[in-house]
Amino acid sequence: MSTRKVLELFYDVVSPYSWLGFEVLLRYKNIWNIDIHLRPGFLAGIISESGNAAPALIPNKGAYMFKDLERMAEFYQVPLRLPSDFFHVVIKKGSLSAMRFVTALQMSHPEFLEGVSRELWLRIWSEDKDITEPESILQAAKKAGIPEDLAKKLLSTITSPEIKSKLKENTEIELAKSIKLFGMPSIVAHINDKPELFFGTDRFELLAHRLGEKWLGPVPQKSEL
Amino acid sequence: MSKPKVLELFYDVVSPYSWLGFEVLLRYKNIWNVDIHLHPALLGGVMHATGNSPPAMVPKKGAYMAKDVERLSEFYQVPLRQPSNFFQVVIKKGSLSAMRFLTAIQMSHPEFLEGVSRELWQRIWSEDKDITEPESLLQAAKKAGMPEDLAQKSLSLMTSPEVKTRLKENTEKALEYGVFGMPSIVAHINEKTELFFGSDRFELLAHHLGEKWLGPVPHKSRL
Repeated sequence: MSTRKVLELFYDVVSPYSWLGFEVLLRYKNIWNIDIHLRPGFLAGIISESGNAAPALIPNKGAYMFKDLERMAEFYQVPLRLPSDFFHVVIKKGSLSAMRFVTALQMSHPEFLEGVSRELWLRIWSEDKDITEPESILQAAKKAGIPEDLAKKLLSTITSPEIKSKLKENTEIELAKSIKLFGMPSIVAHINDKPELFFGTDRFELLAHRLGEKWLGPVPQKSEL
Repeated sequence: MSKPKVLELFYDVVSPYSWLGFEVLLRYKNIWNVDIHLHPALLGGVMHATGNSPPAMVPKKGAYMAKDVERLSEFYQVPLRQPSNFFQVVIKKGSLSAMRFLTAIQMSHPEFLEGVSRELWQRIWSEDKDITEPESLLQAAKKAGMPEDLAQKSLSLMTSPEVKTRLKENTEKALEYGVFGMPSIVAHINEKTELFFGSDRFELLAHHLGEKWLGPVPHKSRL
């Protein structure tokens, strides 16, 4: 078996498409010959820096996006549901404290990174619950199996300069200045020593083609039966 | 066999993703139980009406798009190549006369619509050639096998009020379906319409149609 190819997933739990991308990619963890590195980033920062804009700010695009998410959730089998007040939850409240917490995990307890990210998505993008208050973040940590004292300790570090700069650094891809992120999810695939960017949740079939792997649809376990 | 489901494709030859969507969709014409209706429409009009803007106006997105189009072209097997001067060709010159010409063909000789559309894409998005001059339009028509007199007639009709109105109506119809960019596919499924934007929702579209997705080059995957 040749060396595993490294895929970096840049995501923010404020982004529903990131959730779809995260779940689908992780389903392929043991199917494709790959190593997945999770890279929590701050979407609002990337969008403002690149001059991009949230798709939902164009009314027709927003309306389509809600419909698209509903259909993709069913097809991808991810229990995504719109928050009752999208603009307040997603655009106004955002995800800064949540992503700082996730970054703290990445730095000191990466074994909980996947689980806590998923629990945060479940809160904001399925159960219409807050992800900005300390109590909300602790709830997510608890559900992901983090001992309470550890979760509290990590939470107390999230405004430290180390965490803040790590969250920023995560999305600045040092190994290749040519890769510029403008949105999430973004997957950077390292293929033959060259990094390639795949934006969104709709390039998996193309990614598979580039990796020389087989695309078995968004729910590969099912299609293998 | 149940009645074919109607798929409406709204496209503009200025849009490279529209070409990808167009070719892939037409490959499924005889594989899925569908009727495909082609609707030439103005991407610029849709962008303007919805407040949307071309992705390439965000520099990082533009850089990604160029790469994405290159990779998809190889994967989808559509001979797409960036014009040498993207902004001049795509943003400044645009496709108004070409889309009017296609609309004239749609109205009087729809049997040539597919072929002439493809030849126009070949010019602008593969051969780095003009699609705004009358001579360029006639060349595309000729390559698509359209008799010269018919092509000349379509050309002379393209600034008529009827053709202008029809192109406007096509574009407005797209907007009524909630379109904000191209390509857009409107699928009529169980008397409901569903909008699919872009050239990357075919697997989802297949799922909703109850059909099988065989990848972007279905004939090859069947061998």
